[in-house]
Amino acid sequence: MVKRVLSIAILFVAAAADDGVSLRENCLACHERQKIPSELIYRRYLATYSLKSKMQQAIVNYLNDPKQQNSIMPLQFFLKFPMKERSTFSTEELRRDTDAFLDHFDIKKKLRHQKDTKVHL
Amino acid sequence: MLRSEKKSFLRFLLIYLGSTFLLFFISIAVFYHYQKHQILDQQMQSLRSKADTLKSHLRLLHESYESPLAYPEIAGYDSAIYDLERRYIFGTFPSAPSLEHLTDSDDLHYYIAPVEPYYLGAAYLLVAKPVDHAPIQHLQKTIVWFMVIAGIAFSALGIFLGRLFVAPMRESITTMNRFIQDTTHELNTPISTILANIEMLETFGKCKGQELKRIEIASRTLSRIYDDLTYLNLNHRYYRDIRPLDLSALLRDRILYFDNMARAKSIRFDLMIEPGIEIAVDHSDAVRLIDNLIANAVKYNRQNGTVTITLTPEYLRIRDSGIGIAREKIDTIFDRFARGDSAEGGFGIGLHIVRRITEDYRFGLQLESNPNQGTEVTIRWSKES
Repeated sequence: MVKRVLSIAILFVAAAADDGVSLRENCLACHERQKIPSELIYRRYLATYSLKSKMQQAIVNYLNDPKQQNSIMPLQFFLKFPMKERSTFSTEELRRDTDAFLDHFDIKKKLRHQKDTKVHL
Repeated sequence: MLRSEKKSFLRFLLIYLGSTFLLFFISIAVFYHYQKHQILDQQMQSLRSKADTLKSHLRLLHESYESPLAYPEIAGYDSAIYDLERRYIFGTFPSAPSLEHLTDSDDLHYYIAPVEPYYLGAAYLLVAKPVDHAPIQHLQKTIVWFMVIAGIAFSALGIFLGRLFVAPMRESITTMNRFIQDTTHELNTPISTILANIEMLETFGKCKGQELKRIEIASRTLSRIYDDLTYLNLNHRYYRDIRPLDLSALLRDRILYFDNMARAKSIRFDLMIEPGIEIAVDHSDAVRLIDNLIANAVKYNRQNGTVTITLTPEYLRIRDSGIGIAREKIDTIFDRFARGDSAEGGFGIGLHIVRRITEDYRFGLQLESNPNQGTEVTIRWSKES
Protein backbone atom coordinates (compact mmCIF):
# COMPACT_ATOMS: atom_id res chain seq x y z
CA MET A 1 0.00 0.00 0.00
CA VAL A 2 2.76 2.42 1.00
CA LYS A 3 4.60 1.61 -2.22
CA ARG A 4 1.51 2.41 -4.28
CA VAL A 5 1.05 5.76 -2.60
CA LEU A 6 4.70 6.64 -3.09
CA SER A 7 4.53 5.67 -6.75
CA ILE A 8 1.49 7.94 -7.36
CA ALA A 9 3.19 10.84 -5.55
CA ILE A 10 6.36 10.45 -7.61
CA LEU A 11 4.26 10.39 -10.79
CA PHE A 12 2.52 13.68 -9.80
CA VAL A 13 5.83 15.38 -8.95
CA ALA A 14 7.35 14.16 -12.16
CA ALA A 15 4.35 15.42 -14.14
CA ALA A 16 4.63 18.81 -12.44
CA ALA A 17 8.32 18.95 -13.13
CA ASP A 18 7.59 17.96 -16.68
CA ASP A 19 5.08 20.89 -16.99
CA GLY A 20 7.74 23.32 -15.74
CA VAL A 21 10.30 22.03 -18.19
CA SER A 22 7.76 22.06 -21.01
CA LEU A 23 6.75 25.67 -20.24
CA ARG A 24 10.35 26.82 -20.11
CA GLU A 25 11.33 24.99 -23.27
CA ASN A 26 8.19 25.68 -25.26
CA CYS A 27 7.43 29.26 -24.17
CA LEU A 28 9.59 31.20 -21.79
CA ALA A 29 12.97 30.40 -23.31
CA CYS A 30 11.93 32.01 -26.56
CA HIS A 31 10.14 34.90 -24.76
CA GLU A 32 13.26 35.65 -22.76
CA ARG A 33 15.48 35.48 -25.79
CA GLN A 34 13.29 37.89 -27.72
CA LYS A 35 12.68 40.04 -24.57
CA ILE A 36 8.93 39.50 -24.83
CA PRO A 37 7.41 40.66 -21.50
CA SER A 38 5.56 37.53 -20.43
CA GLU A 39 4.26 38.97 -17.17
CA LEU A 40 2.93 42.06 -18.97
CA ILE A 41 1.04 39.74 -21.31
CA TYR A 42 -0.31 37.83 -18.33
CA ARG A 43 -1.44 41.04 -16.56
CA ARG A 44 -3.15 42.30 -19.70
CA TYR A 45 -5.06 39.06 -20.15
CA LEU A 46 -5.88 39.04 -16.45
CA ALA A 47 -7.28 42.58 -16.56
CA THR A 48 -9.41 41.65 -19.58
CA TYR A 49 -10.72 38.21 -18.64
CA SER A 50 -10.41 37.93 -14.85
CA LEU A 51 -10.95 34.14 -14.98
CA LYS A 52 -8.16 31.66 -15.63
CA SER A 53 -10.37 29.52 -17.88
CA LYS A 54 -11.22 32.48 -20.13
CA MET A 55 -7.60 33.64 -20.24
CA GLN A 56 -6.48 30.15 -21.19
CA GLN A 57 -9.10 29.88 -23.92
CA ALA A 58 -8.11 33.26 -25.37
CA ILE A 59 -4.37 32.41 -25.35
CA VAL A 60 -4.93 28.97 -26.88
CA ASN A 61 -7.09 30.53 -29.62
CA TYR A 62 -4.27 32.98 -30.39
CA LEU A 63 -1.58 30.29 -30.39
CA ASN A 64 -3.65 28.11 -32.75
CA ASP A 65 -4.17 31.02 -35.10
CA PRO A 66 -1.64 33.77 -34.28
CA LYS A 67 -2.85 37.05 -35.73
CA GLN A 68 -3.53 40.44 -34.20
CA GLN A 69 -7.31 40.03 -34.35
CA ASN A 70 -7.05 36.99 -32.07
CA SER A 71 -4.96 38.84 -29.54
CA ILE A 72 -5.79 41.52 -27.00
CA MET A 73 -2.28 42.99 -27.19
CA PRO A 74 -2.12 46.48 -28.71
CA LEU A 75 -0.79 47.24 -32.21
CA GLN A 76 2.43 48.75 -30.79
CA PHE A 77 3.18 45.38 -29.21
CA PHE A 78 3.12 43.68 -32.61
CA LEU A 79 5.19 46.46 -34.15
CA LYS A 80 7.84 45.92 -31.47
CA PHE A 81 7.77 42.12 -31.28
CA PRO A 82 7.55 39.69 -34.20
CA MET A 83 4.23 37.97 -34.84
CA LYS A 84 4.41 34.42 -33.55
CA GLU A 85 4.43 31.60 -36.05
CA ARG A 86 1.54 29.17 -36.03
CA SER A 87 2.10 26.58 -33.27
CA THR A 88 2.89 23.02 -34.13
CA PHE A 89 1.69 21.81 -30.73
CA SER A 90 -1.56 19.99 -30.30
CA THR A 91 -4.37 21.80 -28.52
CA GLU A 92 -3.82 19.49 -25.58
CA GLU A 93 -0.14 20.48 -25.36
CA LEU A 94 -1.05 24.14 -25.71
CA ARG A 95 -3.59 23.84 -22.90
CA ARG A 96 -1.03 22.21 -20.67
CA ASP A 97 1.60 24.90 -21.40
CA THR A 98 -0.81 27.83 -21.02
CA ASP A 99 -2.03 26.31 -17.79
CA ALA A 100 1.56 26.21 -16.56
CA PHE A 101 2.12 29.76 -17.87
CA LEU A 102 -0.89 31.11 -15.96
CA ASP A 103 0.12 29.24 -12.83
CA HIS A 104 3.65 30.56 -13.11
CA PHE A 105 2.52 34.18 -13.14
CA ASP A 106 -0.54 33.65 -10.94
CA ILE A 107 -1.07 36.93 -9.07
CA LYS A 108 -2.65 35.22 -6.09
CA LYS A 109 0.70 33.73 -5.26
CA LYS A 110 2.25 37.19 -5.07
CA LEU A 111 -0.38 38.98 -2.99
CA ARG A 112 0.47 39.50 0.68
CA HIS A 113 -0.98 41.38 3.59
CA GLN A 114 0.76 44.66 4.43
CA LYS A 115 1.80 43.39 7.83
CA ASP A 116 3.71 40.63 6.02
CA THR A 117 5.43 43.02 3.62
CA LYS A 118 5.98 46.04 5.87
CA VAL A 119 4.32 48.26 3.28
CA HIS A 120 1.54 50.53 4.44
CA LEU A 121 -0.86 52.89 2.66
CA MET B 1 -59.51 75.41 43.10
CA LEU B 2 -63.08 74.04 43.17
CA ARG B 3 -63.63 70.34 42.55
CA SER B 4 -65.48 70.84 39.24
CA GLU B 5 -62.87 73.41 38.24
CA LYS B 6 -60.08 70.97 39.08
CA LYS B 7 -61.80 68.24 37.08
CA SER B 8 -62.15 70.47 34.02
CA PHE B 9 -58.57 71.63 34.42
CA LEU B 10 -57.24 68.07 34.54
CA ARG B 11 -59.39 67.04 31.58
CA PHE B 12 -58.11 69.97 29.56
CA LEU B 13 -54.52 69.15 30.52
CA LEU B 14 -55.03 65.51 29.58
CA ILE B 15 -56.48 66.35 26.16
CA TYR B 16 -54.00 69.15 25.47
CA LEU B 17 -50.90 67.33 26.62
CA GLY B 18 -52.07 64.02 25.11
CA SER B 19 -52.66 65.47 21.65
CA THR B 20 -49.55 67.68 21.84
CA PHE B 21 -47.29 64.84 22.92
CA LEU B 22 -48.79 62.49 20.34
CA LEU B 23 -48.04 64.95 17.53
CA PHE B 24 -44.68 65.71 19.09
CA PHE B 25 -43.72 62.03 19.31
CA ILE B 26 -44.77 61.42 15.69
CA SER B 27 -42.69 64.41 14.55
CA ILE B 28 -39.71 63.31 16.64
CA ALA B 29 -40.00 59.73 15.34
CA VAL B 30 -40.04 60.95 11.73
CA PHE B 31 -37.14 63.31 12.45
CA TYR B 32 -35.11 60.55 14.16
CA HIS B 33 -35.80 58.09 11.35
CA TYR B 34 -34.71 60.66 8.74
CA GLN B 35 -31.59 61.74 10.67
CA LYS B 36 -30.53 58.16 11.40
CA HIS B 37 -30.80 57.26 7.73
CA GLN B 38 -28.82 60.36 6.84
CA ILE B 39 -26.03 59.33 9.24
CA LEU B 40 -26.02 55.77 7.83
CA ASP B 41 -26.06 57.15 4.27
CA GLN B 42 -23.04 59.28 5.13
CA GLN B 43 -21.25 56.20 6.39
CA MET B 44 -22.23 54.32 3.20
CA GLN B 45 -20.91 57.26 1.19
CA SER B 46 -17.64 56.92 3.05
CA LEU B 47 -17.55 53.23 2.01
CA ARG B 48 -18.00 54.22 -1.64
CA SER B 49 -15.24 56.78 -1.32
CA LYS B 50 -12.89 54.19 0.22
CA ALA B 51 -13.81 51.74 -2.54
CA ASP B 52 -12.68 54.29 -5.13
CA THR B 53 -9.41 54.76 -3.22
CA LEU B 54 -8.86 51.01 -3.07
CA LYS B 55 -9.59 50.67 -6.81
CA SER B 56 -6.90 53.20 -7.65
CA HIS B 57 -4.47 51.26 -5.42
CA LEU B 58 -5.46 48.02 -7.15
CA ARG B 59 -4.65 49.64 -10.50
CA LEU B 60 -1.20 50.68 -9.24
CA LEU B 61 -0.64 47.22 -7.86
CA HIS B 62 -1.72 45.65 -11.12
CA GLU B 63 0.89 47.71 -12.96
CA SER B 64 3.59 46.88 -10.44
CA TYR B 65 5.93 43.96 -11.12
CA GLU B 66 7.36 43.82 -7.65
CA SER B 67 7.05 40.70 -5.62
CA PRO B 68 5.42 40.27 -3.23
CA LEU B 69 2.50 42.64 -3.91
CA ALA B 70 1.21 44.33 -0.76
CA TYR B 71 -2.59 44.28 -0.83
CA PRO B 72 -3.94 47.83 -0.10
CA GLU B 73 -5.47 48.28 3.33
CA ILE B 74 -7.28 51.23 4.93
CA ALA B 75 -7.45 51.45 8.70
CA GLY B 76 -10.93 50.75 10.05
CA TYR B 77 -12.10 49.13 6.81
CA ASP B 78 -11.98 45.55 5.56
CA SER B 79 -11.91 44.74 1.87
CA ALA B 80 -11.66 41.78 -0.46
CA ILE B 81 -11.49 41.21 -4.21
CA TYR B 82 -13.48 38.61 -6.19
CA ASP B 83 -13.16 37.34 -9.74
CA LEU B 84 -15.85 37.41 -12.42
CA GLU B 85 -17.44 34.25 -11.02
CA ARG B 86 -17.50 35.88 -7.55
CA ARG B 87 -14.79 33.64 -6.22
CA TYR B 88 -12.62 35.08 -3.46
CA ILE B 89 -9.15 36.21 -4.59
CA PHE B 90 -7.67 38.07 -1.66
CA GLY B 91 -8.73 40.34 1.18
CA THR B 92 -8.28 41.54 4.73
CA PHE B 93 -11.29 39.80 6.29
CA PRO B 94 -10.40 37.24 8.98
CA SER B 95 -12.48 34.72 6.99
CA ALA B 96 -13.35 35.10 3.32
CA PRO B 97 -17.00 36.23 3.10
CA SER B 98 -19.19 34.94 0.30
CA LEU B 99 -20.66 37.67 -1.92
CA GLU B 100 -23.85 35.64 -2.31
CA HIS B 101 -24.76 35.71 1.36
CA LEU B 102 -24.01 39.30 2.30
CA THR B 103 -26.69 41.33 4.04
CA ASP B 104 -26.49 44.70 5.75
CA SER B 105 -26.76 44.43 9.50
CA ASP B 106 -27.00 46.92 12.37
CA ASP B 107 -23.34 46.33 13.12
CA LEU B 108 -21.65 46.15 9.72
CA HIS B 109 -22.02 48.02 6.40
CA TYR B 110 -21.10 46.34 3.11
CA TYR B 111 -20.49 47.86 -0.27
CA ILE B 112 -19.71 45.86 -3.41
CA ALA B 113 -18.09 47.92 -6.15
CA PRO B 114 -17.59 46.55 -9.66
CA VAL B 115 -13.98 46.76 -10.90
CA GLU B 116 -13.36 47.46 -14.59
CA PRO B 117 -10.85 46.56 -16.04
CA TYR B 118 -10.26 43.54 -13.82
CA TYR B 119 -7.15 44.76 -12.01
CA LEU B 120 -5.45 41.79 -10.36
CA GLY B 121 -8.27 39.74 -11.91
CA ALA B 122 -10.81 41.39 -9.59
CA ALA B 123 -14.26 41.96 -11.03
CA TYR B 124 -15.74 42.94 -7.66
CA LEU B 125 -14.38 44.80 -4.69
CA LEU B 126 -16.05 44.30 -1.34
CA VAL B 127 -15.56 47.02 1.29
CA ALA B 128 -16.95 46.71 4.79
CA LYS B 129 -16.86 48.79 7.93
CA PRO B 130 -18.42 48.37 11.36
CA VAL B 131 -21.33 50.79 11.81
CA ASP B 132 -20.25 53.83 13.81
CA HIS B 133 -22.96 54.06 16.49
CA ALA B 134 -21.51 57.18 18.15
CA PRO B 135 -23.36 59.78 15.97
CA ILE B 136 -26.63 57.81 16.33
CA GLN B 137 -26.21 57.70 20.11
CA HIS B 138 -25.43 61.42 20.09
CA LEU B 139 -28.62 62.01 18.07
CA GLN B 140 -30.61 59.88 20.53
CA LYS B 141 -29.22 61.85 23.48
CA THR B 142 -29.99 65.17 21.80
CA ILE B 143 -33.55 64.04 21.07
CA VAL B 144 -34.08 62.83 24.64
CA TRP B 145 -32.86 66.19 26.02
CA PHE B 146 -35.01 68.06 23.52
CA MET B 147 -38.03 65.96 24.51
CA VAL B 148 -37.43 66.59 28.21
CA ILE B 149 -37.09 70.35 27.69
CA ALA B 150 -40.02 70.48 25.25
CA GLY B 151 -42.08 68.31 27.63
CA ILE B 152 -41.46 70.75 30.49
CA ALA B 153 -42.26 73.71 28.19
CA PHE B 154 -45.44 72.05 26.87
CA SER B 155 -46.54 71.14 30.41
CA ALA B 156 -45.95 74.72 31.62
CA LEU B 157 -47.83 76.06 28.61
CA GLY B 158 -50.60 73.52 29.23
CA ILE B 159 -50.96 74.61 32.86
CA PHE B 160 -51.02 78.27 31.81
CA LEU B 161 -53.62 77.60 29.07
CA GLY B 162 -55.57 75.35 31.42
CA ARG B 163 -55.88 78.14 33.95
CA LEU B 164 -57.01 80.49 31.19
CA PHE B 165 -59.46 77.83 30.05
CA VAL B 166 -61.07 77.39 33.46
CA ALA B 167 -61.01 81.10 34.37
CA PRO B 168 -64.46 81.87 32.81
CA MET B 169 -65.83 78.80 34.53
CA ARG B 170 -64.45 79.99 37.85
CA GLU B 171 -66.01 83.38 37.22
CA SER B 172 -69.37 81.78 36.38
CA ILE B 173 -69.27 79.59 39.48
CA THR B 174 -68.38 82.57 41.67
CA THR B 175 -71.15 84.64 40.08
CA MET B 176 -73.62 81.81 40.51
CA ASN B 177 -72.66 81.34 44.16
CA ARG B 178 -73.05 85.06 44.76
CA PHE B 179 -76.38 85.06 42.93
CA ILE B 180 -77.68 82.23 45.12
CA GLN B 181 -76.53 84.04 48.26
CA ASP B 182 -78.14 87.28 47.05
CA THR B 183 -81.37 85.49 46.12
CA THR B 184 -81.70 83.83 49.51
CA HIS B 185 -80.98 87.14 51.20
CA GLU B 186 -83.38 89.07 48.94
CA LEU B 187 -86.15 86.56 49.54
CA ASN B 188 -85.45 86.26 53.22
CA THR B 189 -86.00 89.97 54.03
CA PRO B 190 -89.58 90.36 52.68
CA ILE B 191 -90.60 86.88 53.82
CA SER B 192 -89.35 87.63 57.33
CA THR B 193 -91.21 90.98 57.24
CA ILE B 194 -94.45 89.26 56.17
CA LEU B 195 -94.14 86.51 58.80
CA ALA B 196 -93.23 88.97 61.58
CA ASN B 197 -96.16 91.26 60.82
CA ILE B 198 -98.62 88.37 60.52
CA GLU B 199 -97.39 87.16 63.92
CA MET B 200 -97.95 90.63 65.37
CA LEU B 201 -101.47 90.64 63.96
CA GLU B 202 -102.17 87.24 65.48
CA THR B 203 -100.68 88.27 68.83
CA PHE B 204 -102.39 91.60 69.27
CA GLY B 205 -105.54 90.73 67.36
CA LYS B 206 -105.99 94.20 65.95
CA CYS B 207 -104.57 95.96 62.96
CA LYS B 208 -103.19 99.49 63.09
CA GLY B 209 -102.60 99.60 59.34
CA GLN B 210 -98.79 99.71 59.57
CA GLU B 211 -98.54 95.95 59.68
CA LEU B 212 -100.60 95.63 56.51
CA LYS B 213 -98.46 98.27 54.80
CA ARG B 214 -95.28 96.38 55.72
CA ILE B 215 -96.81 93.15 54.45
CA GLU B 216 -97.83 94.94 51.27
CA ILE B 217 -94.30 96.36 50.73
CA ALA B 218 -92.74 92.97 51.38
CA SER B 219 -95.20 91.26 49.04
CA ARG B 220 -94.57 93.81 46.30
CA THR B 221 -90.84 93.31 46.75
CA LEU B 222 -91.33 89.55 46.39
CA SER B 223 -93.53 90.09 43.35
CA ARG B 224 -90.92 92.31 41.72
CA ILE B 225 -88.16 89.78 42.42
CA TYR B 226 -90.32 87.08 40.88
CA ASP B 227 -91.06 89.28 37.82
CA ASP B 228 -87.39 90.15 37.32
CA LEU B 229 -86.23 86.56 37.64
CA THR B 230 -88.99 85.37 35.30
CA TYR B 231 -88.07 88.07 32.81
CA LEU B 232 -84.40 87.10 33.00
CA ASN B 233 -85.16 83.39 32.77
CA LEU B 234 -87.45 83.81 29.75
CA ASN B 235 -84.68 85.86 28.18
CA HIS B 236 -87.23 87.98 26.29
CA ARG B 237 -88.58 84.99 24.42
CA TYR B 238 -92.23 85.65 25.03
CA TYR B 239 -95.04 87.21 23.06
CA ARG B 240 -94.94 91.01 23.08
CA ASP B 241 -98.03 93.01 22.48
CA ILE B 242 -96.47 96.22 21.24
CA ARG B 243 -98.94 99.07 20.84
CA PRO B 244 -99.18 102.72 21.89
CA LEU B 245 -99.23 102.86 25.66
CA ASP B 246 -100.12 105.80 27.83
CA LEU B 247 -96.78 106.01 29.58
CA SER B 248 -97.83 109.00 31.72
CA ALA B 249 -100.61 107.00 33.31
CA LEU B 250 -98.49 103.87 33.69
CA LEU B 251 -95.67 105.86 35.28
CA ARG B 252 -98.01 107.41 37.84
CA ASP B 253 -99.45 103.99 38.56
CA ARG B 254 -95.97 102.49 39.15
CA ILE B 255 -94.94 105.43 41.38
CA LEU B 256 -98.00 104.70 43.47
CA TYR B 257 -96.88 101.07 43.56
CA PHE B 258 -93.58 102.12 45.17
CA ASP B 259 -95.17 104.75 47.39
CA ASN B 260 -95.16 102.69 50.55
CA MET B 261 -91.56 101.58 49.97
CA ALA B 262 -90.51 105.23 49.50
CA ARG B 263 -92.41 106.33 52.56
CA ALA B 264 -90.58 103.74 54.61
CA LYS B 265 -87.33 105.65 53.84
CA SER B 266 -89.09 109.08 53.86
CA ILE B 267 -88.22 109.55 50.23
CA ARG B 268 -90.04 112.26 48.31
CA PHE B 269 -91.03 111.96 44.68
CA ASP B 270 -90.66 115.10 42.52
CA LEU B 271 -92.72 114.47 39.44
CA MET B 272 -92.60 116.36 36.14
CA ILE B 273 -94.74 114.10 34.04
CA GLU B 274 -96.34 115.52 30.92
CA PRO B 275 -99.79 114.02 30.47
CA GLY B 276 -100.88 111.81 27.61
CA ILE B 277 -97.47 110.69 26.36
CA GLU B 278 -97.86 107.53 24.29
CA ILE B 279 -95.00 105.18 23.38
CA ALA B 280 -95.28 101.96 21.33
CA VAL B 281 -94.17 99.35 23.83
CA ASP B 282 -95.30 96.09 25.39
CA HIS B 283 -96.99 96.68 28.74
CA SER B 284 -94.84 94.14 30.65
CA ASP B 285 -91.63 95.57 29.21
CA ALA B 286 -92.68 99.09 30.19
CA VAL B 287 -93.49 97.92 33.73
CA ARG B 288 -90.10 96.14 34.06
CA LEU B 289 -88.30 99.21 32.74
CA ILE B 290 -90.02 101.70 35.04
CA ASP B 291 -90.09 99.42 38.10
CA ASN B 292 -86.36 98.67 37.95
CA LEU B 293 -85.43 102.33 37.57
CA ILE B 294 -87.73 103.50 40.40
CA ALA B 295 -86.76 100.54 42.63
CA ASN B 296 -83.06 101.38 42.20
CA ALA B 297 -83.72 105.07 42.83
CA VAL B 298 -85.52 104.20 46.09
CA LYS B 299 -83.26 101.37 47.21
CA TYR B 300 -79.97 103.23 46.68
CA ASN B 301 -81.32 106.54 47.97
CA ARG B 302 -80.57 107.95 51.35
CA GLN B 303 -83.08 108.50 54.14
CA ASN B 304 -85.20 111.64 53.41
CA GLY B 305 -83.85 111.69 49.88
CA THR B 306 -85.68 112.65 46.69
CA VAL B 307 -86.46 110.88 43.45
CA THR B 308 -87.04 113.22 40.53
CA ILE B 309 -88.98 111.73 37.65
CA THR B 310 -89.34 113.58 34.36
CA LEU B 311 -91.36 112.33 31.42
CA THR B 312 -91.49 114.23 28.13
CA PRO B 313 -92.28 113.14 24.56
CA GLU B 314 -88.49 112.78 24.11
CA TYR B 315 -87.32 111.01 27.23
CA LEU B 316 -87.87 109.54 30.68
CA ARG B 317 -85.43 110.68 33.33
CA ILE B 318 -85.18 109.35 36.87
CA ARG B 319 -82.74 111.02 39.20
CA ASP B 320 -82.08 110.08 42.80
CA SER B 321 -80.12 111.73 45.60
CA GLY B 322 -78.51 108.49 46.68
CA ILE B 323 -75.10 106.95 47.12
CA GLY B 324 -74.21 107.03 43.42
CA ILE B 325 -71.95 104.62 41.58
CA ALA B 326 -68.17 104.56 41.71
CA ARG B 327 -66.65 105.90 38.48
CA GLU B 328 -64.79 102.63 37.73
CA LYS B 329 -68.01 100.63 37.94
CA ILE B 330 -70.08 102.75 35.57
CA ASP B 331 -68.81 100.95 32.43
CA THR B 332 -69.92 97.54 33.72
CA ILE B 333 -72.98 98.54 35.71
CA PHE B 334 -75.36 97.28 33.00
CA ASP B 335 -73.75 93.80 32.93
CA ARG B 336 -75.67 90.93 34.39
CA PHE B 337 -75.08 90.52 38.15
CA ALA B 338 -73.13 93.79 38.29
CA ARG B 339 -73.78 95.81 41.42
CA GLY B 340 -72.87 99.36 42.22
CA ASP B 341 -72.81 98.76 45.95
CA SER B 342 -72.86 95.33 47.57
CA ALA B 343 -73.90 96.78 50.93
CA GLU B 344 -77.46 97.29 49.65
CA GLY B 345 -78.94 93.90 48.66
CA GLY B 346 -80.07 93.09 45.15
CA PHE B 347 -79.10 90.72 42.37
CA GLY B 348 -77.48 93.16 40.03
CA ILE B 349 -79.98 92.32 37.31
CA GLY B 350 -82.15 95.48 37.39
CA LEU B 351 -80.03 97.68 35.13
CA HIS B 352 -79.22 94.64 32.98
CA ILE B 353 -82.93 94.22 32.30
CA VAL B 354 -83.24 97.97 31.62
CA ARG B 355 -80.46 97.78 29.02
CA ARG B 356 -81.94 94.70 27.36
CA ILE B 357 -85.32 96.39 27.00
CA THR B 358 -83.85 99.63 25.67
CA GLU B 359 -81.75 97.62 23.18
CA ASP B 360 -84.80 95.64 22.06
CA TYR B 361 -86.77 98.85 21.41
CA ARG B 362 -83.76 100.79 20.16
CA PHE B 363 -84.19 103.39 22.91
CA GLY B 364 -81.28 105.55 23.95
CA LEU B 365 -79.89 104.83 27.42
CA GLN B 366 -77.68 107.20 29.34
CA LEU B 367 -76.40 106.96 32.94
CA GLU B 368 -74.64 109.64 34.87
CA SER B 369 -73.60 109.18 38.44
CA ASN B 370 -71.51 110.86 41.10
CA PRO B 371 -70.66 109.07 44.31
CA ASN B 372 -72.64 110.44 47.29
CA GLN B 373 -74.57 112.82 45.03
CA GLY B 374 -76.85 110.52 43.12
CA THR B 375 -77.53 108.79 39.85
CA GLU B 376 -79.46 109.98 36.83
CA VAL B 377 -80.75 107.55 34.21
CA THR B 378 -82.22 108.91 30.98
CA ILE B 379 -84.08 106.84 28.44
CA ARG B 380 -84.68 108.54 25.11
CA TRP B 381 -87.45 107.15 22.96
CA SER B 382 -85.32 107.71 19.91
CA LYS B 383 -81.55 107.17 19.88
CA GLU B 384 -81.06 110.10 17.53
CA SER B 385 -82.75 112.62 19.77
